[in-house]
Amino acid sequence: MVYNYHMLLNGVRRLHVEVRLYSGLEKFVQHAQYGKPIQLELSAGTTAEKLIEQLGIPKEHVFSILVNGNHRKGEDLLEDGDRIALFPPVGGG
Amino acid sequence: MKIVRLNMTTKQASFEEVPEKYLALGGRALTSQIVADEVPAECHPLGPNNKLVIAPGLLSGTSAPSSGRLSVGGKSPLTGGIKEANAGGVCSQKLANIGIKAIVVEGKADAGTYIMHLTADKAELIAADELAGKGTYELTKILKERFNPKVGVICIGPAGEMQMLSAGVTNNDLEGNSSRYAGRGGLGAVMGSKGLKAIVIEADKTFDAPVQDKERFRAAAKKFADILLKHPVCGEGLPTFGTNVLMNVINEAGTLPTRNFRFGRFDKAADVSGEKLAEVAVARGGKQTHSCHPGCVMRCSNVYPLPDGIECSPVEYETAWAFGPNLEINDLDVVARLNYICNDVGLDTIEVGCTLGVLMEAGVIPFGDGQAAIKLLEEVYQGTPLGRVLGAGTAVAGKVYGVTRVPTVKDQGIPAYDPRSCRGNGVTYATTPQGADHTAGYAVTANILKVGGFVEPTKDDGQVELSRNLQVATAAVDSTGLCLFVAFALLDNPEGLPTVVEMLNAQYGTELTVNDVTALGQQVLTVEREFNIKAGFGKAHDRLPEFFYEEELAPHNTKFDLREELDEVFKF
Repeated sequence: MVYNYHMLLNGVRRLHVEVRLYSGLEKFVQHAQYGKPIQLELSAGTTAEKLIEQLGIPKEHVFSILVNGNHRKGEDLLEDGDRIALFPPVGGG
Repeated sequence: MKIVRLNMTTKQASFEEVPEKYLALGGRALTSQIVADEVPAECHPLGPNNKLVIAPGLLSGTSAPSSGRLSVGGKSPLTGGIKEANAGGVCSQKLANIGIKAIVVEGKADAGTYIMHLTADKAELIAADELAGKGTYELTKILKERFNPKVGVICIGPAGEMQMLSAGVTNNDLEGNSSRYAGRGGLGAVMGSKGLKAIVIEADKTFDAPVQDKERFRAAAKKFADILLKHPVCGEGLPTFGTNVLMNVINEAGTLPTRNFRFGRFDKAADVSGEKLAEVAVARGGKQTHSCHPGCVMRCSNVYPLPDGIECSPVEYETAWAFGPNLEINDLDVVARLNYICNDVGLDTIEVGCTLGVLMEAGVIPFGDGQAAIKLLEEVYQGTPLGRVLGAGTAVAGKVYGVTRVPTVKDQGIPAYDPRSCRGNGVTYATTPQGADHTAGYAVTANILKVGGFVEPTKDDGQVELSRNLQVATAAVDSTGLCLFVAFALLDNPEGLPTVVEMLNAQYGTELTVNDVTALGQQVLTVEREFNIKAGFGKAHDRLPEFFYEEELAPHNTKFDLREELDEVFKF
């Protein structure tokens, strides 16, 4: 195995996260259903943006990234145990 | 334009010229101003001195997109303060098209049930005892058969006739469903107290209200439609899944009030979300999208068929929350059934949801028991003691059963965003003259939806200013007849508000500027606040219930913390 910079920093740690897709974004992922948690194992150092790319969701469709109930930016790093929810533009009231 | 004055004591209806001071007002600005001018603030809301004022917005009845909202005002029997509730449906546009600026209903009939028949040149009060006690769906159907199928019907159900404090005033949509409620604050009880069951409006036209400069108006209206359609929420989010698309994002954000405001998340929220609703509605031959009034481009409503063929249109987010997570119910059929009964019997769904939450807290029926909730709500038709407690609203139910976890401000139930983790909305709930009202300054935009900037929802910084600006803007939008949802686009697109001003100037031949719109919003709030002060309200009424300051809300484990800062909201 070739060690890259991130792996040196983080060891070979893996992250376990839970992803939920909503309001049409689930259609980009095979067998996904809205609201049904998808359990994923990611390399340490994965950003929200990278996760979206790995899932195969065109990034222009993602408007909000909520991690543990808080808004996050695409470049933010994910942590072990994170609950991630992705949304297109939504509104109402 | 004319004002129709209906005196229920003398049974006389008359047309009046519009006084000059009211010419530039419409919708909420007009209802609140007439109430402030004509209703003694100390009066009993169900006595002869209160008035019910109904007004289309300034742009209603024209081709301006999404401009058909109807304002209903009076002194609220629920809050004891001034109230404006507004609704979609067909009646705002009909009123504007027969030249009606406002209807003022005053006095009180000794006995009996009456309807008013209104055309461009005639306003007639008709005795209609045979209609007493009718549900709104049947009532609307009867009146359409009696007059003609195209009439608009503004009416109340049995709850309004029984003067229940949560009774709303409704009107019909394009299909004739009496489900378009000016629901909040008990204005249906005010209408009922006067002996008025319905107003039947005949108007053949929808978009032909007088416009001074038609070319200029058409260009501005087209531009405004483009602005709405290009906005990601107005043009994409709302037209796809409707308002209930919010269920999942509010849940994920941890601010979905669950089990009478005990938790911020409901693990079964997706079962009652917009996505689920679209699936079921379409499979049963209903509609995933639907316009609440002609000419709306956002089409955020829906038609949800129940298994027995009854159609509930719409099931909105606030209602799905009130009867769903708030009661720990995860069955959309139960939610839609409760919604339908409220529409028919004539009650505000948010208030009924909050009241059921308190009754469940008291152990009257268990949390999660949808069938028990339906049975209890059906008691409202009979006016049983428990049915009357339910119809009297959240605060009364709390007092009757000795519950302290009562989510109200100024005795009005708090809607679908917990103030501890959506603090901007907490500021609005606490301070709006309307009593807890999410639409009065919808800070969910910047707190959760990332529309009009971003203000961290679990922190205090910026929330007072956010709520203040939104309350001012909302008071102005509510006066135009535009749907509040246009605000999503107005907040993000700098051309939005100038285009609204352009439409107003083209229609009325005025030279308003964007600053005049802000001034109008401030004026509306000032008039409403002054009425409330005369009615006995003070700083202590501009606070949230104690438990929001003392109990942490999971998952963010935050409390509400703003007190004296709330007194700064109306320092414009």
